[in-house]
Amino acid sequence: MLSAEAMGDTPHLLLVDDERSIREPLAQYLTKQGFRITQAGDAATARTRLAAYAIDLVILDIMMPGEDGLSLTRHIRETSEIPVILLTARSEETDRIVGLEMGADDYVVKPFSPRELSARIKVILRRAAAGGARQHAPDSGSFAFAGWVLKSGERALVDRDGVSVPLSTGEYNLLHALVTRPRQVLTRDQLLDLTQGREAAAFDRAIDNQVSRLRRKIEADPKNPELIKTVWGGGYTLAAEVTRL
Amino acid sequence: MTRLRLWPRSLAGQMALLIALALLIAQIINFSMLLNERRNFRFEQATGPAVARIVDAVERADQAQLSPNRGRVRLLDTSPIDKAAEHRPEIERGIRDALRESGLTVGRIETAVVDDRPPSLQRRGPPRDRPRDRLRRPGGGELIIAVERAGGGWLVSATPWPRGEGQLFLRLIAQTLILYGIILLPVLWIGRRISRPLRSLASAARDFTPGEVDVPIAEGGPQDLREVVAAFNALRLRVTAMLDEKDRMLGAIGHDLRTPLAALRVRIESVEDDADRIKMADTIMEMDRTLDDILSLARLGRPSEPLTEVDLAALVDAVVEDFRDLGADVTFDEETPRLQMRLRPSLMRRAVRNLIENAVKYGTSAAVTVQAAPSRVEIRVADRGPGIPEDRLADVFAPFTRLETSRNRDTGGIGLGLALAGAIVSDAGGSIRLRNRPEGGLDATIILPR
Repeated sequence: MLSAEAMGDTPHLLLVDDERSIREPLAQYLTKQGFRITQAGDAATARTRLAAYAIDLVILDIMMPGEDGLSLTRHIRETSEIPVILLTARSEETDRIVGLEMGADDYVVKPFSPRELSARIKVILRRAAAGGARQHAPDSGSFAFAGWVLKSGERALVDRDGVSVPLSTGEYNLLHALVTRPRQVLTRDQLLDLTQGREAAAFDRAIDNQVSRLRRKIEADPKNPELIKTVWGGGYTLAAEVTRL
Repeated sequence: MTRLRLWPRSLAGQMALLIALALLIAQIINFSMLLNERRNFRFEQATGPAVARIVDAVERADQAQLSPNRGRVRLLDTSPIDKAAEHRPEIERGIRDALRESGLTVGRIETAVVDDRPPSLQRRGPPRDRPRDRLRRPGGGELIIAVERAGGGWLVSATPWPRGEGQLFLRLIAQTLILYGIILLPVLWIGRRISRPLRSLASAARDFTPGEVDVPIAEGGPQDLREVVAAFNALRLRVTAMLDEKDRMLGAIGHDLRTPLAALRVRIESVEDDADRIKMADTIMEMDRTLDDILSLARLGRPSEPLTEVDLAALVDAVVEDFRDLGADVTFDEETPRLQMRLRPSLMRRAVRNLIENAVKYGTSAAVTVQAAPSRVEIRVADRGPGIPEDRLADVFAPFTRLETSRNRDTGGIGLGLALAGAIVSDAGGSIRLRNRPEGGLDATIILPR
């Protein structure tokens, strides 16, 4: 996989936040991490910067005076394929879901760790550089499989009768990894890698344990799994048709 | 057991009953006045001629012209009136007064109303249809007047005596019923007209949930009521506006406090010492969580999360699993059967999480169980900590209560956890019971109705 750096130029990020107290130290930190940063204090400035430079990724605060981040996300999505990471507050959950549905690629919740943000930026840039089509954001849309619906926005699993079956963070991450790659064999290492992206600390228990917990929740007979199948040689696969809703 | 209630509860019923009682009293007063007047009139009519005849008879008897067995006034040796007969002292007094006015002095006077004339007073010869007899309507009787003559013997006269009281009663009842019909029907109608908007006002006030889409109550009924309803509608709008304002303010406070926190979080990344930086990050996360708790507690009255059918066992299991992922010693029987409930899942998750968090913080470990009874569900979180002094058990639900002042910030939080859990559970119609277990440790149980 080619990283942006390896291609010889520094990724150019546009950082849009009305709060200087966040924007400036964050720009400093990200510059140290090897990114080129252009700052914008409001949506109007961001629009002119977007037009003036070849921006590789936008980091965007949702709550801004004047035109907000959601509206700017829509504008970016209408005119380009530039990836967007949203900065949100925990209480703005609906805004976050709307933002992701509008085509933002990821989000971090304030107060966020700059390291985590940097890691996410790298993942998204890597994906974009790999030439792949923009992937759906991890927390957008719903997936239907074998009578179940996994709702990403609310992180809920809903059964045939509409009863919600709450999942732990680890279970959710694992199931999400599986439903977004149906019928692919995923090794334990791959699963660990895929599920660690979000809350690393929340996932240092064995994948096998999570799988058996998930099976208890979604399999008709957990001893005889029909949905999450173990693949000989070490790995798991979701043996079901998945429909993106 | 329902007691027969004579006093109706509704406005229309009370109005109708009061008016009915007042009408009845007025009718009774009216009736007694009427009765009195009628008595006087009857006395005049019936006794006037009789007295004149007796005066005349007394004079004739004095001149020995009175034939003892003929005419309307007879002279008898003894009073024909039975001792048991219906005496009329008020008539006797009237007659005495009348005789005195005529200048006559007599001895005893006895009167009585009888159904038939005694034989000594029967008319001789064939009965003739005389106008007088027509006065003897059914229910009427004869008034016998016996006056003791000064010279010995009794002068007795009989005169028809209409006894119309029964009919008068019937008339009163009919009249009252007609009045009731004419007056009570409109009263009931106006009562309903007033009470219907009042009732819808009451139910609207009771069911008022700020934040939900408000349909103003239709203004109906009399003008005064319309004004009350309009005032209530306006009040409701004001309350909603105030709560919206509060939400906006809390959102602004949250945003304004979070922004410097987020700035701080970004800045500490330049701290070289890893241990220091991690501690700082933890402190910032703790502050952020507290801020979140404050905002949730303040917004609880207007939850934005809809009620959802949820498997409560899986919910508790998921919370427990998150704690275990962080390395906390929390146990839960994963085979707990499915338990479908209608609740707000992320709020309930938070309540359960706060109880487990306390157990882990103060009691080092938590054993979580879910038990379902037909009418309720218990989520029990048992720790092995020091428990809570019995006299402080109730205090811990008050916001910002911490039992040990010596407890440092690091583990103590600011005491919102239980307050928030308690508020969430009571909002869901349940309660939290705290109990020190005899074998040591605290037992915190969420009790939810099913």
